[in-house]
Parts: sequence; C-alpha cells; structure tokens
Amino acid sequence: MASSSTSVVVSNKEKENKNTKKVTLKSSDGESFEVDESVAMESQTIKHIIEDGCANNEIPLPNVTSGILSRVIEYCKKHKEAAGESEPSVTSYTSNSTTNPLTEWDTEFVKVDQNTLFDLILAANYLDIKGLLDLTCKTVADMMKGKTPQEIRETFHIKNDYTPEEEAEVRKENQWAFE
Amino acid sequence: MANPKSDEMGGSISFTDFPEDVQLCILSFLTPSEVSTFACTSKRFVSLCRNDAKLWFTMCHRRWGSKTQIRKWGNGKIAFRLLYKTLNEWENLIGFWRRSGRGNIGISSPPLVFFEWGPSFLTGSRISPSKNGTYSVLKSPFLWMTLSQEGQTVNFLDPDGRAEVLDCVGEMDFSDNDLIPVNLSFMGKTHFVVEENMNFFAFSSSNSNSSSNFRRSSSSSNMRCDDEIEDSIGGDSGSFSPSHSPGSLPERLMSEMYQHFANRTSPGSGDKRRQRRKEKERQGKRKWEAEHFVKIVNCSPTLTRPLQGLWKGIYDDMSLNFYLVVYEDNGGIICRRVGDSSERFSSYGLVFWTSNATFIESPLSPEEKYLYDSRMHVRPLAAENYIHEELLSEETEMVSRILNINSSYDLVIPDLAGSTTNPRNVEGRIWQYISGTFGFGFLRDNFIIDLKHVSQNGCVLDTKELCSD
Repeated sequence: MASSSTSVVVSNKEKENKNTKKVTLKSSDGESFEVDESVAMESQTIKHIIEDGCANNEIPLPNVTSGILSRVIEYCKKHKEAAGESEPSVTSYTSNSTTNPLTEWDTEFVKVDQNTLFDLILAANYLDIKGLLDLTCKTVADMMKGKTPQEIRETFHIKNDYTPEEEAEVRKENQWAFE
Repeated sequence: MANPKSDEMGGSISFTDFPEDVQLCILSFLTPSEVSTFACTSKRFVSLCRNDAKLWFTMCHRRWGSKTQIRKWGNGKIAFRLLYKTLNEWENLIGFWRRSGRGNIGISSPPLVFFEWGPSFLTGSRISPSKNGTYSVLKSPFLWMTLSQEGQTVNFLDPDGRAEVLDCVGEMDFSDNDLIPVNLSFMGKTHFVVEENMNFFAFSSSNSNSSSNFRRSSSSSNMRCDDEIEDSIGGDSGSFSPSHSPGSLPERLMSEMYQHFANRTSPGSGDKRRQRRKEKERQGKRKWEAEHFVKIVNCSPTLTRPLQGLWKGIYDDMSLNFYLVVYEDNGGIICRRVGDSSERFSSYGLVFWTSNATFIESPLSPEEKYLYDSRMHVRPLAAENYIHEELLSEETEMVSRILNINSSYDLVIPDLAGSTTNPRNVEGRIWQYISGTFGFGFLRDNFIIDLKHVSQNGCVLDTKELCSD
C-alpha cells in the first residue's frame, strides 16, 4: 500500500483532491485497493476501461496478484506526483536519467528478487504502463550485460538447443552481422 | 498474453514466457554485441534478434531519437540495423574538428568545422570569424552526409560554401552544380580524411545490381579506397561517366540536400563555374584534394577545467579569431590560436601557457586590483556592440579569480639583441569573470583580451549566415 513517505506528500494535496474520483482495483487473489482515478489511469488498460464506462468503480485484474498490484500502485502514485509537481515526468530511459529526480527512487524500486521483477514486467505489460515496463525491462537487460551465453541461459532458464558446432557457427555469423 | 506463475514447476518465469513485444523491449536496451550474445543462447531467439522493424528501430530510437528523425533516414526504406551501425560511427563526428595540414589552395578551406544532426542527415559547417567587427561567427555549409534508400552512404562537400539555388527541382543533373561527392574515412575516433569520390557516378549506376553486396561491405567498414569499391561492383573502371548521372540519385535526396545548402544565389558566376567543372570532369580531374581533420576533443569548459575549450576574441591583428585552451596531463594549460586558412600552414601559434593551473581567488591584493583596473579591454569595435548597453557588461565584470601565465616569447633565447630578460615581458594574467568567461593580458602592455565561448550546450553561439553581396 502507500508507504509512509508518499502519504506525507499526498496529504499536502488532499485539500485539493478531496473530491477526486476513486476507483477500486481488485487483484487476482481478491484483495481490493482504492486509488485515485488519476493514479489508476497511469495504466492505459485501466484508462480505457474507465473511459468505456465499464468500471462500475471496481475493476477486476485477474492477471495481477495483490503483492504485485500494491507495488504497481506505489509506482503509479510516485510518478503521478512527480508529474504533478514539475514538468511532465521524464519516464524515458535514454540520456537524461541523471537529471531525472526519480532515478534514485526507481533504482530502489526494482531492487527485488527475479520472480517479483518478472511479475512486475508482466503486470506492466498487461496494464500498459510504459514507464514501468521500460524500467523493469531495462533492469532485466542490465542483468544480461557482461555475461556469456551460458551465463545468460542460467540466469534466465533458457534451454540450450544448439550443438557446440551450431553455436560456434551462430557466434561467428553474429560477429559479422552485429559488429 | 500474461502467463500464470508456474510455482509448481521450479518456481520461476522464464524469459521465454514473456510475450514477444516484452522480449523485444528487453533486448532493445542492449548494445548490438550483447544482442548477438543473446542470439547465441537459443535457436528460437535468432529471428528475434534480427527483428528489424521493432528491435533495431527501438535501439536506434533510444539512442538518437531525440536528435534526429530515425524513420526519415533513407526515406524510411533502409534496414534499421544498418542505420544503427552508421549512426554509431557517425555520432562520433558531432562537435568541433580542426583541419590538420594544408587545405585546398584557392578554395576556402575551413580550419574549423562543426558537425550537427539534421532530421535525416548529418551536416558539417564551416565556422569562421566574421569580419564585421563583432563577436559573431559565420556558419556556412561544408559537408552533408546521409544514406540513400538503398543503404548507400552519400556524402557531399560544398567547396565554396555558397551552393546555388536550383530553379527547377526536376533538373537534378548533378554535374551542373558545385557539390562534390566525397568519402569520409575514419582513422580512429579523432581523425578523419575527406577525399573526393571519383567513382560516385559509375558506382551509383551499377548500384541496383550489387546493392546487397555493397550494403554488406559498407556496414563492416568505412575505410574504403576506390579500388575496393571497384572490386565489389565487379571490376568497373576507375573512370568517370557523367552520362550516368542524371537521375541516379533520387530526387528527394537531392532536393533535401539543396534545401539545406542553398538559401542564397550566386548570380552570374555560375555559368563560368559550370563550364570549368564540366571540363574538369571530362578530364577526370579532381576538384578537391584530400583533407585531414582532427577532433577538438574538449571544446567546452568543465567545473574542474574552467578555461578549457574553444574561445573567440581579438588578439594581435585586431580581427576576431579562435583560440583553443587545452589542459595538459602534467597540470599545465596551453592556449593556441586555431588556424586561419589564409596562412601558409594551419597555424597553431602559441598564445599563452602556464604550468600551474591553480587560481588565486578574490579578493585580490591591491597590486593585482590595480593591474586589472588600469587596463583597457580589447573588444570588437563594431557599432552594433554599443547599441544595447547590456553588451558592455564586461566593463563592470567582476573578476572572480586570477591565474599567472606566460606568453610565447618566453621561448626566445635571452641573449638575442642584448636585451635584458625582463620577466615582465613575458609574464601575464588571466582574469576569470564571474560569468565564466575570461580575459588575458601581459605585463608588457595594458590590454585585456576578453574571450567568449564559441559554443554552449552543443550549439554554436552568435552565428550569421553568409551574405551573397
């Protein structure tokens, strides 16, 4: 749910947001989360559901467990607040990450075990939250850097279907194609 | 779409469980060699790693999407993998370069060139000091680099910096104009050679037969001599065939290039130039001799090196010139003038140096204060500088700190002409202003030469277009 740090910021804005619409999101394991509609709309999927009028104030998300959903909501809240306070939040991970004030927060946010990270990716994809998807995918990509193919296979449970000769061939071919 | 967690089967989601778009998103954060390493993990990922439309496009867009329009390059028809390779190499050009060695005689050869991104091409502009008595600089076209929709590297050079306007877009006969096709060969990251591409026409006419061959070789190396090109297109002769030229470059490419280069006319002289050029072409003569350029690696000041980079100011001959301040590894600083093409050699004259880059902070001693206050600031004299009083802020510029320097005369042998080696002849000061700019001067006179930045945040300051009058 909301961590104590975010609730401090939220309370400052509560006076303005007293009458904002809320929606309830229901996880696959039956837990309900009430959030501001504007925060929930960080998810394009939820945004379309609301705009199509199918919300009924409770949106079931059968693909997302409560543990993951709470984290996703935390992300959306944080980024929505940052967007509200200054210029539109820079959620692209290209060149300006050092000037983005959320970079540190994001880095901490993805310090989780691999299963949680992968679940976050699937949730971000299903809920269509670009910033979260980019953040989590980049984190996975960073896990691949500097590893040999065998190390990558082990980390990501990829089955090796090459014979040693085939692998050498592919490596040689790719050296030319990619370098 | 999303797959349920398989907790009974070993407890982890595999990369293969991700939908393809997610897999591509992950891979798009990698470098090409890392993507190739990933392709070696399993057969099923090979086609994923070659996904041009999504993966390689995203990789291009992530790196350069904010600087150029990825989809416009090559009219949107080239493979993004090729584009990545090209942009990865060309990106190194962005910034300032100075000519090394002799330039082409009789043609205005730029001592200073600045490369920047265009929407679907790269441009190099000559940067030269204006002669109108202000701090402004002239920026005129020099090089234009892009890819054709067949993936061919297309580079053109404007020898005079005054491209003609074409009246009719349809008449794209290349030989009628002043632009010269060139090859750019890189030698490491800080040196390139520009030479005329004598085979451009013969090459582009056979292009349709060998485009795939060419793409392979161009993507592996940009170090190309004319012989290699001939081999790859099946032994074409080295001669020049102007008859192939009309229409050999797509009109769109030519018109873009002209839109970029040409916003001025050169009345009258165009015909004579055309005749001379056609004559030269028939003889297969070169219009342009190869020139070398070296990168100015540190062209802006930093926090720890506040004097570093390219500056402009008036010194010696009362005209605006460029100066390069370099911090040496031994902790010293050297300032040199960046060459002027009218001089015999690409001049690299020493202006001042110091072995100790430690500043003396303000407040200054009374002697130093007097030394500064009693000096006259040397600045461009144009009336324009005085129209808006704000431009004269240097008069009251606060000095934040000073540095002891020496001038080049220090290297003169003291015994000559029996002169006493008065250290005051060579000793000088740098006065750094609060604004970050600085002025320098020597004890032998009472002037201060105020320098300004040539560029800031990747843009050239105070530019003026060349006027045709």
